Amino acid sequence: MDLSSFEMDNSVSCRLASQIPDVCRTEDCCLGIDEAGRGPVLGPMVYGICFCPVSRKEKLKELKVADSKTLTEAERERLFQKLDESRNYVGWALQILSPNTISTSMLQRTKYNLNALSHDTAIALVQYALDNGVQLKEVYVDTVGPAEKYQEKLSQRFPGIEVTVKPKADSLFPIVSAASICAKVARDRVVKGWKFNEDLGDVDPDYGSGYPNDPKTKAWLLKYLDPVFGYPQFVRFSWSTAQTLMDSKAVPVHWDDDEEDGEKAAQRQNNKSMLSYFSASAGGNDQSQTHKTHRFFTERRLRSLNTL
Amino acid sequence: MATKKKRAPSAQNDSWVVIAADSVIDTHKHDSNPAFVRLRNPSTDAASLYMLGSGDAQLYEVKAFEEDFHSWFVGQTVQRDGRLLFVTPMDPLYLILPYMIKSDKEGKFQPVHQVVMDEEFPACARLLSCTRSLASLNHIAEEKEAGGLKFHRYSQEKTLNWLKKKVERTVVVLKKRNISVGEGVKSTTYVRAKTESDCCEEDYLRYAHGLISEYISEDLSKALLRHLQLPELTSPKETEPPSKKRKLSDKPVKAGEDYTKFNSADFAWKPPKKMTAAQKTLAKVDKTGMKPMSSFFSPKVKTEK
Repeated sequence: MDLSSFEMDNSVSCRLASQIPDVCRTEDCCLGIDEAGRGPVLGPMVYGICFCPVSRKEKLKELKVADSKTLTEAERERLFQKLDESRNYVGWALQILSPNTISTSMLQRTKYNLNALSHDTAIALVQYALDNGVQLKEVYVDTVGPAEKYQEKLSQRFPGIEVTVKPKADSLFPIVSAASICAKVARDRVVKGWKFNEDLGDVDPDYGSGYPNDPKTKAWLLKYLDPVFGYPQFVRFSWSTAQTLMDSKAVPVHWDDDEEDGEKAAQRQNNKSMLSYFSASAGGNDQSQTHKTHRFFTERRLRSLNTL
Repeated sequence: MATKKKRAPSAQNDSWVVIAADSVIDTHKHDSNPAFVRLRNPSTDAASLYMLGSGDAQLYEVKAFEEDFHSWFVGQTVQRDGRLLFVTPMDPLYLILPYMIKSDKEGKFQPVHQVVMDEEFPACARLLSCTRSLASLNHIAEEKEAGGLKFHRYSQEKTLNWLKKKVERTVVVLKKRNISVGEGVKSTTYVRAKTESDCCEEDYLRYAHGLISEYISEDLSKALLRHLQLPELTSPKETEPPSKKRKLSDKPVKAGEDYTKFNSADFAWKPPKKMTAAQKTLAKVDKTGMKPMSSFFSPKVKTEK
């Protein structure tokens, strides 16, 4: 697995893929989808697909691929090696969603939540396989969100393909297990060799599992909190763990789409109370007829100062 | 982020981000640095910030671009206030004018040094050392010379003519800069296929008058409006909206089309439209003891405590 294209710029989303085996272009194929790194506050989320001819499904079982969570890192690496050796009939593709991609998607003006991001990534990967001539007939997915809705969404998106969405699909279908191994191996490697874009000097690599409840991860987050910038791009800013720490320890930053208390915001924006419009003939003789600045200046947000 | 954040009152800054005319920092000829001064704003009559540069020879006005949710990265620091100051050249005559008008009540020729005095803003005397000040006084005042001394008396006629020229020159700039002066809101990034030829001269004049009015008193602004022969606009706020729809003519109202031809048997009666499932279930609801909707709008019965 060559991760160099992601490591060149780990702030964006990146696709890695194996060669498409020739048999997959001629024979009916099945495809499994799984992800790794959905929960951690650190590092990327990796989506993986694995595909092989339906006729070779049983052969995958012989490789003894199993749910990646039940395997040690060494076993996963060994299994990935085996998958790689079976490249004449097994193909894979990965989408590495950098933590920065996740942060910016979830925190942008029109919120793009993790489920939608996951669904779209999965769809894009299936489309990738189709675009490369893989004769897809069956797709197996571990669910994200409610299984039925997801299955309906995918079936509609890919008519003619039999889509099966099931929780724990990674332990039920070997092809999903294979996909989960690819994804997990990629995530492990990326996290281990993370190249920080930021100038942090020697970064303490002991950040634990990256899951929010890991004390090591928490300690690391506390240590690398910058009062102005928050965190390096390695951290998912959209995670509440990161947000809570920034809210309490970093300098407050206000964005114009922040929600503000109604009354205060109204006051700040010089909004009039609705009631003022109903008072008996206001306007007529205002006691303080304030000077109204010409719109040339107000439109350009320019105003005179009386002090610096 | 739905968390509530407290806004701290903005702290004092010791640095500003400024865009200034080149002449401001041109201190070659003069050894004094440009300085911010507080002077009386001719339009608001309150203090405003100005700048005197080139050894008081040049006057600048200071405007701030200020919008919510902005801050600066300056070198290796963050500046919380995202203000951008503009220091632009300004005609000192605008600031001298209010003093001249004030002295006019005495109705006599006076030396300007006696006129341009302000206990509140002592720096105003420095306005007279601006290069253009003394030379251009004749635009707003009559001049007399006696014994080598010059005396001035405010002239509204001259002033209005001077201001009219200012307005006209502003119009030229507004046109050149393609500034939208019409009533409609226009985006600067939106490019019209047709040039705005239908935008009339009066809009430009009014806009320019409004701009110049930022630099003169309200009374003078009104006088200038008359001088420009522009009728005063009455803002719709002050006038009550018409209580009823206006009749367009006194002639009796007639229907534009003859609907009677549809009054045949076919159109006589139609069964009421089918109700939707939701409406049907609502119609079946037991309504006994329910108040009619209208009861909620009747005056409240006061309950004694």
